[in-house]
Amino acid sequence: MANIKDKSWKSHLGMVIVYAILIVFTVLAIYPLIWLSLNSFKTTTEFQLNKLGLPGTVERLNADGSITKFKPTVINYVDAWTRGKFPILIFNSVLYTAVTTIVVIIFSFMSGFAFAKIRPNTKTTKGLYGSYVIGILMTLQSIMVPLFLVINWMGLYDTRIGVLIPYIGIGMPMGVYLATEYIRSIPSALVESARIDGARYGKIFTSIIFPMGKPVATTLAILSVTGTWNEFMLINILTSNDKYKSLPVGVQKFAGALSSDFGKQFAALVIGLIPMLLFYLVFRKEITKGVAAGAVKG
Amino acid sequence: MAEKDVAVKKKKGMSSKGEELRAYWLFILPGFIMYFVVMAFPTVFSLFLSISNYAGGALFGNVRNPLKIMGFKAYKVMFADQYFYLALKNNLLIVFISVFGQIPLGFLMAYLLHRGMVKFRDFFQTIIYLPCVISTVVIGILWKSFFAPNGAFVDLVRIFNPAYEPTVSSHPMIKVLFVILWMYTGTYFIIFTANLQKIDTSIIEAAKIDGASEMQVLSKIILPALSGVIVTSAILAISGSLKSFDLIYVMTAGGPAERTSVLATYMFNKAFKGAPNYPLANAISTVMIIISFFFIAITKIVEKKFGGKE
Repeated sequence: MANIKDKSWKSHLGMVIVYAILIVFTVLAIYPLIWLSLNSFKTTTEFQLNKLGLPGTVERLNADGSITKFKPTVINYVDAWTRGKFPILIFNSVLYTAVTTIVVIIFSFMSGFAFAKIRPNTKTTKGLYGSYVIGILMTLQSIMVPLFLVINWMGLYDTRIGVLIPYIGIGMPMGVYLATEYIRSIPSALVESARIDGARYGKIFTSIIFPMGKPVATTLAILSVTGTWNEFMLINILTSNDKYKSLPVGVQKFAGALSSDFGKQFAALVIGLIPMLLFYLVFRKEITKGVAAGAVKG
Repeated sequence: MAEKDVAVKKKKGMSSKGEELRAYWLFILPGFIMYFVVMAFPTVFSLFLSISNYAGGALFGNVRNPLKIMGFKAYKVMFADQYFYLALKNNLLIVFISVFGQIPLGFLMAYLLHRGMVKFRDFFQTIIYLPCVISTVVIGILWKSFFAPNGAFVDLVRIFNPAYEPTVSSHPMIKVLFVILWMYTGTYFIIFTANLQKIDTSIIEAAKIDGASEMQVLSKIILPALSGVIVTSAILAISGSLKSFDLIYVMTAGGPAERTSVLATYMFNKAFKGAPNYPLANAISTVMIIISFFFIAITKIVEKKFGGKE
């Protein structure tokens, strides 16, 4: 792409500066995470003696003249895992993420099909579609209190369904937007000829539209998975029972009561970090593509 | 014969119109009900609650505290509260760091990677975007412990300045702003990277052959091509500043002494800390919704002006 042979850019000084800037930013981006991972292998006592170095590199001279040698340890992980109720948290996170993503994709495609192909130019379509487009830019934070009250009145406070309904609802605007735009680009002749052959809309949807939507479904899935997995604000106010909480809320506990117990806290953070990190490393092309598609529009 | 045909067609047409309408609503309603309950209704309802005396419990038929319309009392309280302005000011600081920090840095990195012919592009891109995929909670706690008085920040500064002693900072927002810069710059980097790739390289190469310098390529081709994206990013950054809740809630909880609170945490405290003051919380909510709609309107106007991108 940038295969321009230009002397000013080829000059060594220019390249050194470019690399220097990039390396500085790369180190800034990654260092905190490396620092966190390294320190999760130190006990809190060792951390207080050696906050920046590698684990197992310091010694302590005790009052009785003996020397304690610190070694890298996984004890923090054992402690954090037993204290943190991680199995149920991870189960909930997977459940919320999977259900939200699947339902948002299906509902979005259904609405997109209705908007783009069943009645594309009616006032109702324009109005409803317009309300979704506004929803994309709507700040969720601004409605957390009324939303909390609505969920409460529905009797859904502290239930899994009371978490899922908001998650699906807030996923809809972007989903409908992307699905509608995509389905619009599918030739209407395909739908019309199927109609003439006597196919019902349900059949057209399941056998023509949905199978063709894979690229958008992927983008939507990426946006939904990253968004739902990391969501914290809503689940924090909509649940109080540990049984229904997700990984981010569980990790947050280690910042409160255990905040001075750095060792366990760092281990809990690493546990909270790993699933998303793996997801990112596997799907990084799709993620960056999805973010660019989702963010610039609005 | 011909008449019969028309009749059949008509009948078919009628029933298919019926099916069309039925299918239309069946396809739309499941998603729209969710959207309505979760976003549209609370938006409108917060306006009503903000002028009521609602104090929790059942909305109607509440014997202890019958629902009454109080007018703009909650708004008066809010506009008289110094902490409201403090939160608003911190929101503006976040706008400032987003527009003048994240966007230029994101652009700089995207531009260097796109034009600089560096090796390991994929590697740099992966790392630079990495902070954006991590849960805000993890980031918040990580930096909280890093900056803690007994954390690593003190040791790091002492490498350069051995006499450094941690004091109660007079500008606690600086650390929050730094973390915001750290965690969101990657988003703009990705946006600019995606849009740089859309620029036709043959135009740039032609300009190069005609003897244009890299600065000329940047100022005459690349920046004009990205002007729409830059404006949209700026609006995204400004309206996105209203979204800062998770990080501040986890990292500082608005402290010390509310000095790092933003509108969202200010509202959270009014609704969920101590005795809930729902009218006041909803008044704050309404102000945020109005600001939010203001930016939506601006976005739409700008979009029209720059044409529908793509």
